[in-house]
Amino acid sequence: MSRNAVILGGGQCKWGVREAHLVDMFQEAGKACLDDIPGLKPKDIDGLIVATSYAGRCCFQVNTAPVIAERLGLKPTSICTRCDTLCAGGSTGIILAKGLVESGNADIVMVAGGEKLYTPQKWEIFYSELASVDHDWEAVHGMGLPPPFFSLTAQDHMINYGSKKEDFAAVSVANYNYAATNPVAQMQKTLTLEEAMAAPSVVPPLTLYDCCPITDGAAACIITTDEIAKKFSNRPLVYLRGCAQVSLSSLSVNFPGEHLADWKHTRIAAEKAYKRAKVSASDIKVAQTHDCFTISEVIEVEELGFCKKGEGGDFCSSKQIEIGGKVPVNTDGGLLAVGHPFGATGIRQGVEIMKQLQNRARHQVKDADIGLTHNLSGANAEHTILIYGREPVK
Amino acid sequence: MSVVGIPILDNLYPVTMDLWPVQAKEFNRVWPFYENLKQGRFTTTKCKDCGHVPFPPRVICPECYSENLEYIDLPTKGKVLIFSEEVKGVPLGYDSPLIHAVIDLGVAPCRRMITKIINCPAGALKRGDEVQMVVFPVPPTPIEKGKAGTIMAERVFFAFEPVKK
Repeated sequence: MSRNAVILGGGQCKWGVREAHLVDMFQEAGKACLDDIPGLKPKDIDGLIVATSYAGRCCFQVNTAPVIAERLGLKPTSICTRCDTLCAGGSTGIILAKGLVESGNADIVMVAGGEKLYTPQKWEIFYSELASVDHDWEAVHGMGLPPPFFSLTAQDHMINYGSKKEDFAAVSVANYNYAATNPVAQMQKTLTLEEAMAAPSVVPPLTLYDCCPITDGAAACIITTDEIAKKFSNRPLVYLRGCAQVSLSSLSVNFPGEHLADWKHTRIAAEKAYKRAKVSASDIKVAQTHDCFTISEVIEVEELGFCKKGEGGDFCSSKQIEIGGKVPVNTDGGLLAVGHPFGATGIRQGVEIMKQLQNRARHQVKDADIGLTHNLSGANAEHTILIYGREPVK
Repeated sequence: MSVVGIPILDNLYPVTMDLWPVQAKEFNRVWPFYENLKQGRFTTTKCKDCGHVPFPPRVICPECYSENLEYIDLPTKGKVLIFSEEVKGVPLGYDSPLIHAVIDLGVAPCRRMITKIINCPAGALKRGDEVQMVVFPVPPTPIEKGKAGTIMAERVFFAFEPVKK
């Protein structure tokens, strides 16, 4: 009998500027995760995958997984490891856990991600962010902090497809308003189009609300098989139907596509994930895309096939990303408003899609049966997609 | 001079905080790129077996995995396709305005290269402007050489600047 991976439950700690150590937040997230699955105890968990990228730089801590296992009271016997794909770390952990439980090499895996980015002196995190791209060829030019790269991307989208600043603002308005009632979000306030348009400049054309904040936080979820899940929960099963992770090249030269707003690697990842999940773009009822910048969400809704290439601006400003629209996107507030502690983000996204498919989300999409999560890593170095469904792939 | 909060780092060099590449041949097999840069040459490796030219330079050909490579010159002039200008909030180690551009050097693989533009005031650069490579010194790296003690390895790096009209 085949083993099908499901996401059993999950949660996150409060995200933002936290008065807490990295390992404190991992404990809070582990508790939030197990609180979501009342029948599950730490001793039931036989695997731990930790997703963190900046523990090495900001906490002087490598080989993170055994440390987190100890703090969480876990004694993994199948897998205990860490993955680092920066912004996609959590999703990478979920993909690895899916492979392990489906192959029978693990039964119940906790995927926990987190970052402590606010250092006692703030210069250090900005300085350390230079490590997120190729040090000797990209960071050296000051490309590590992402706003300049996404400014170039936004300009290429405006030049080639005629998108407007108002389209970008529509994304931040939608995502802030989704997060306004989310108690664990970093930004808990509503935003109007006028406020978004009048925000101070960061790197033109990007202004304040076009950029996700720097965030401390952690999240955790449990990946297991459908048969095991039934012993611990009466909720509808949420299957991991398919996934893909694509890296085509670095950015200093030869970036994929015709220009910076042409994300060939996202298209390839989507095509592959849809094929493996036996669905198409039109089946996706709700999505969590990587809105590190508003322009990212505009391009992602195109490359994921929710609208035609070049029409992402119109798609977002015509409210197709909101509840009642064609594909509600980032319904918990996304990176822009919940925040972006890199390794935790993919887990937060997976947990929100799980809640949507179990009909228990804060902003519930009616009859959601297929959902998608997407991450880009670094300066568009890699794209990661997971597709979730109420039924297994048959 | 001691480091605040960590007095044991008095007068020590932490490579993990260095913005610039460690270029010395004791630590880096693409050291000829930096030696060529000191002569004002912008170079990369070409595969002598299959002819492939990647950038940045490699120690193997990424197409055929041959180690039979040679350094060749790339153009040092190009034109600006698009650019971004950061005036406020420039990270430590960089001057305002911090200008990044996608430039076209006219030959593969550098038809769309992301680089930094210097020697250019805010608001002056335009799309289509001609730019040229400029080489500048960066702080030397201390390298322990056994009984010979610590030597200071000279370093340079490159950016592009507007060609004066």
